[in-house]
Amino acid sequence: MNHPGMAIVKLLLPALLLSACGASSVVISGSFPTPNIGKLPLSLAVVYDDTLEEFTYTEYSETGQEEYHIQSGQSHIELFNAILPAMFDRVIRVDAVEEGAGAGVDAIFVPNIEEFQLALPAKTRLDVYEVWIKYNMRLLTTEGDYLADWVLTSYGKTPTETFVSTETAINDAAIVALRDLASTFALSFAQVPEISDWLANR
Amino acid sequence: MNALKFRETGQGKAGGLLLLLALIAGCTSTTVDEFRQGDTGIESHESVVILGRRQAGNRETSSDFVECVGDRLAQGVDGLSVVPEQEFLDAMFPWFEPRTAPLQPEHLGRLMVEEQVALTMRDFGVRYIIWVDGFTETLNRVGSISCTVAPGGAGCFGYGSWEDDASFNAEIWDVENYNGVGQISTDATGQSFMPAIVIPIPLIARVEANACQRLGDQLKSFVIGG
Repeated sequence: MNHPGMAIVKLLLPALLLSACGASSVVISGSFPTPNIGKLPLSLAVVYDDTLEEFTYTEYSETGQEEYHIQSGQSHIELFNAILPAMFDRVIRVDAVEEGAGAGVDAIFVPNIEEFQLALPAKTRLDVYEVWIKYNMRLLTTEGDYLADWVLTSYGKTPTETFVSTETAINDAAIVALRDLASTFALSFAQVPEISDWLANR
Repeated sequence: MNALKFRETGQGKAGGLLLLLALIAGCTSTTVDEFRQGDTGIESHESVVILGRRQAGNRETSSDFVECVGDRLAQGVDGLSVVPEQEFLDAMFPWFEPRTAPLQPEHLGRLMVEEQVALTMRDFGVRYIIWVDGFTETLNRVGSISCTVAPGGAGCFGYGSWEDDASFNAEIWDVENYNGVGQISTDATGQSFMPAIVIPIPLIARVEANACQRLGDQLKSFVIGG
């Protein structure tokens, strides 16, 4: 005789087994405020190359299995699209550095992610999810020569909470890291020594 | 008859135990310390903003606690106008982020030199910034509960107990004079229990809620002044 409880167990067991296989995918998404700062009198072309646009980080378990695929390229582009127009008089997007030459801009900006790190409570034994991101920022002349090439790091964390999934917590920590990037980038851009010199000589 | 009597006595004991546990669980001890450095007062057109400190590495002030204190300040006939934390942070972006926020009241003067910051602060009518720093931690967790699921049903048996300790400190900055006017700290502790006889019965000490209530009330009377 089939017990109704057994039917539920039979139904749930394959689902549980399947959920134990494969990595979870996390697409970082969130909204970003517009910086409340004065604009620099510059027109800028921005290039989001494929490595940024398609950036995905894979977190491995302690046994070397793929655990999480974190796609954060699009969220970075959304972030730059929110902050750059608030920082500069004019911002246009171009597909390649060469296109910037004919666009009548003062400089070409090329952001890139160099490194992404994730710390999960299960591994660190801390009650927070943490995300570190290291960036390489390049500011080029319209001819493609370097004006400045600098490194920025950002950090975000979110506490563990009951009934909040790991995927949601990773997303929240990444969004805090992206806000951190935006605040540091917006406030430190004109203080980068090469950019400061370039601005002074204009 | 005797068996019935025994059952009634047994039920009475269990009920008494649960009532005792509920009463103990309801007991949270809270202490509040106030340190005043300057005069305060607030006009009807002025507001306060409560911000959580999030600079520490392995913990951060919960936004729920900050919201709870804000709600407490806004309550009642003498309720204050409180700017929601996230609305303030977004409008002030990037000046009050964890890495860029002023750490001392003296830094506020430097920040207010920025035209956009001063204008936004004026638009909100912020007279006081209240920085809340702290967290709630769980200590002395003892006992165990085991649960079993079988085709015929499910049930739990056991007992768990733990202590919650909420410790928060609030610093009040006067935006008009760029100085700190005082500090209020609150510490609340309470014991929670979870007996499980078929179903777990959580008897939770409302430690953080009590800390929020006491801190909120104290902050309100502090800001209204004297």
